[in-house]
Amino acid sequence: MIQSSTSKPQKSPTKGTGLPSSTTQKWMSLLNNDSSRAVILQAIVLVLVLFGLWFLFANASENLNRLGMTFGFDFLQVTAGFNISWSLIPYDPGMSYWRVFLVGIVNTLILSFCVIVVGTLIGTVVGILRLSDNPLVSQLARWYVEVVRNVPLLIQIIFWFTVVFSTLPAPRQSYHLGEWLFLNNRGLYVMTMESTLSWGWIVALGVALITALYALFRWSKPYYTLSGSRSTGFYIGLVAWALVACWAIWSFSNSTSLSVPTLQGFNFSGGAFLPASFGAAFVAMTVYRSAAIAETVRAGMQSIDRGQHEAAFTIGFSRVQSLRLILIPQAIRSIIPPMTNSWLAATKDSSLAVAIGFPELVSVFMQTSMNQTGRAIEIIFMVMGFYIFISLLISYLLNKYNDSVQYKVR
Amino acid sequence: MDDLNVKNQPVLKQFVPTPPRPPRKSERGIFGTIRHRCFNSIGNSLLTLCVATVLFYLAKHVLDWAVFNAVFIADNRRQCMDISPDGACWAGVISWFNGLIYGRFPVDEQWRVNIGVLLGLVWLLPLMSKRIPLRNFILLSWIGLYPFVGAYLFLGGRFGEELGLVHGAMTCLALAFLIIIYANWILSALGKKGLNELFVPLVSRLVERRIHLLSFVAVWLLVALVIALGLSQVSLEPVPIERWGGLFLTFIIAGFAITMAIPVGVILALGRRSKLPVIHWLSMTVIELVRSVPLITVLFMAVTLLPIFLPADMEFNKLTQVLVAVCLFAGAYMAENIRGGLQAIPKGQYEAAATLGLGYLHTMVLVILPQALRMMIPNIMTSFISLLKDTTLVSIIGLFDIMLMARNIANDKDWVGMHTEPLVMISVLFFILCYSMSQYSLNLEKRLKVDR
Repeated sequence: MIQSSTSKPQKSPTKGTGLPSSTTQKWMSLLNNDSSRAVILQAIVLVLVLFGLWFLFANASENLNRLGMTFGFDFLQVTAGFNISWSLIPYDPGMSYWRVFLVGIVNTLILSFCVIVVGTLIGTVVGILRLSDNPLVSQLARWYVEVVRNVPLLIQIIFWFTVVFSTLPAPRQSYHLGEWLFLNNRGLYVMTMESTLSWGWIVALGVALITALYALFRWSKPYYTLSGSRSTGFYIGLVAWALVACWAIWSFSNSTSLSVPTLQGFNFSGGAFLPASFGAAFVAMTVYRSAAIAETVRAGMQSIDRGQHEAAFTIGFSRVQSLRLILIPQAIRSIIPPMTNSWLAATKDSSLAVAIGFPELVSVFMQTSMNQTGRAIEIIFMVMGFYIFISLLISYLLNKYNDSVQYKVR
Repeated sequence: MDDLNVKNQPVLKQFVPTPPRPPRKSERGIFGTIRHRCFNSIGNSLLTLCVATVLFYLAKHVLDWAVFNAVFIADNRRQCMDISPDGACWAGVISWFNGLIYGRFPVDEQWRVNIGVLLGLVWLLPLMSKRIPLRNFILLSWIGLYPFVGAYLFLGGRFGEELGLVHGAMTCLALAFLIIIYANWILSALGKKGLNELFVPLVSRLVERRIHLLSFVAVWLLVALVIALGLSQVSLEPVPIERWGGLFLTFIIAGFAITMAIPVGVILALGRRSKLPVIHWLSMTVIELVRSVPLITVLFMAVTLLPIFLPADMEFNKLTQVLVAVCLFAGAYMAENIRGGLQAIPKGQYEAAATLGLGYLHTMVLVILPQALRMMIPNIMTSFISLLKDTTLVSIIGLFDIMLMARNIANDKDWVGMHTEPLVMISVLFFILCYSMSQYSLNLEKRLKVDR
């Protein structure tokens, strides 16, 4: 008989210790012993799970045989043949289902990225306004949050789509801002710049310029902190940087032409286009997310000791200064974990845009492609795999960041 | 030396703080407060004025649209437009009100829904009183038995024909249990013994142990038998599940999810905290996988994959598939809440339970879980609220819940294109439900804090 380990007090060691090891009670004592029972229990669970999986997959293969279907990812090479109303990467109906998958992923990511960025900004502002001394402002922020987060997101998305975006005027009477922005019931048309240079070069140049400016400031900082004024080298560098920047902008503007949306027949051509479904999904999700984030920010700010507010006030910091230098850096620590969850939720919520026909992953792949190919198992596997990958990625990155801002303790 | 000093020193004066000065006159009273907090600087005054203006115009437009210019009586949308073009047309919502609440449930049978919901509430009513003994037991009986009564009333049909005999037996037992609860309540108010003690003298002559339990079972079975005789005479019109809908269906899905979330969540959370690697990894995989995908994909999975992965001769309706999916989803989220509670329990509690000689099951059920669940009540309520909101997603896969009913009004030939009013109406409904739930949870939180 194996002695029960005493290091696991919660696993009922009391029954197993005192039993005599007579032959009749041997199997009983095996059941009452912690370590042997653990093995038996796990074996039973494992067998049950494996049996369940076997049962499911046996059924699946039988059902697939009966329906004359096969399992495999070969359908990804087949031509999709349906149109997608909006796609950021080039797509036409002659492309494969794999391309449809990619289009869905890119659209989902774009939507959730926009929602996360704008939602976080608005949410932070609303969360801070919620703590305002002005009762009118704080109550307004409070009721904004209460109303928005107590109404289901799906209702809000459909509301924005059917009530707001679909009732905008037709293309001929669209609202417009000069010649470069048109808003109508089909969506938003924006003027774009088309360049003969490749976009890669332009982006690289922009990044290089910003890095150079940052490096310049970084380089002159020690002198600045010591003397309180900038060195001559800094000004020379700044002028040189400005010259290079001017040259870059000049050569850029020489090689670009404007693509202005113009009305042709019943629709616009030229410029960039965002469909109304994107607008509705974006606005609804941003509003919803901002309310959730506002609550997170408020809770984080309230978790700071009141003495910190008072100390900042005593030193003579203005409200903005005390927020920027004292309160927010401390609040960040308790805000980040729930904020991570909120961002993950935003990514997952982007799938609700399927209800208004925005061509994101669930819509183009899980609905249209699945209806056309009937490959339910493979498609669901791929879509879920994508969401799981994104979730793991975001939580990994934010955990890294979280580790870096937490208090350093030994 | 010290002693000497103390003796010789004069008695120290007690420190008396000066009472705080009252606020300045300009800061007192309603006007003072408003002036001090809304108009204490130029920037703040401007802000106040801007917000007040925005609020005024918002309120004016909303009220104009929803109340003053609204039409409450009309036959179709055309008429609404003729009466008042820029007001809400509540007439459409009113004419569809029945559909929003009951979905496509046959009008003549809707009383059954009312009775069913009422029975559920009546069953829970004793929980409001703190003097009722065995309140947990009543809650458990509601979770375990009420669904049978509800399903009987909502589905209709006769036992042994459309409905199974087991279902019939459980329904009778459930009703009998409800009657015993109320009989006991009334009898105890009259100062008499409970109904379940009726056979105690008889039973005590036959056996010596477990007299009360046997007596209770005997009474229970007897009452159930009487009910069974009664029910066998009744024949309810069968209503297929496809005709369930509206708020009623929303409540069924949300109620099922909420009741199943706790048991599934507890099992998954305990599994995740388990020291046995197989169980730990299994629970963790389930929790993390389900939590990292959107609910809509889980619903699609249930609708498309369940028929493939289960035997071909099994019959499915969409509602069962959705309930399975929602249950799994709610359980995984609940598991994380409960795990948070479990982690917050100090180790001393486990050790104390072990010292008392409690096994794993007893430790968990009697010591750890009650504390963990209580600690997590705010989070659990938040989960419930989001579950209620998430039930609207079933409309995407074609269940006629309140959301889809509301969207369908715009397809009615009398009310073509009427989107706004139904959506506003169900938004207000959800707001009232969720807001009252969150206020209740705040209230509960405060009360529990006082208790501790």
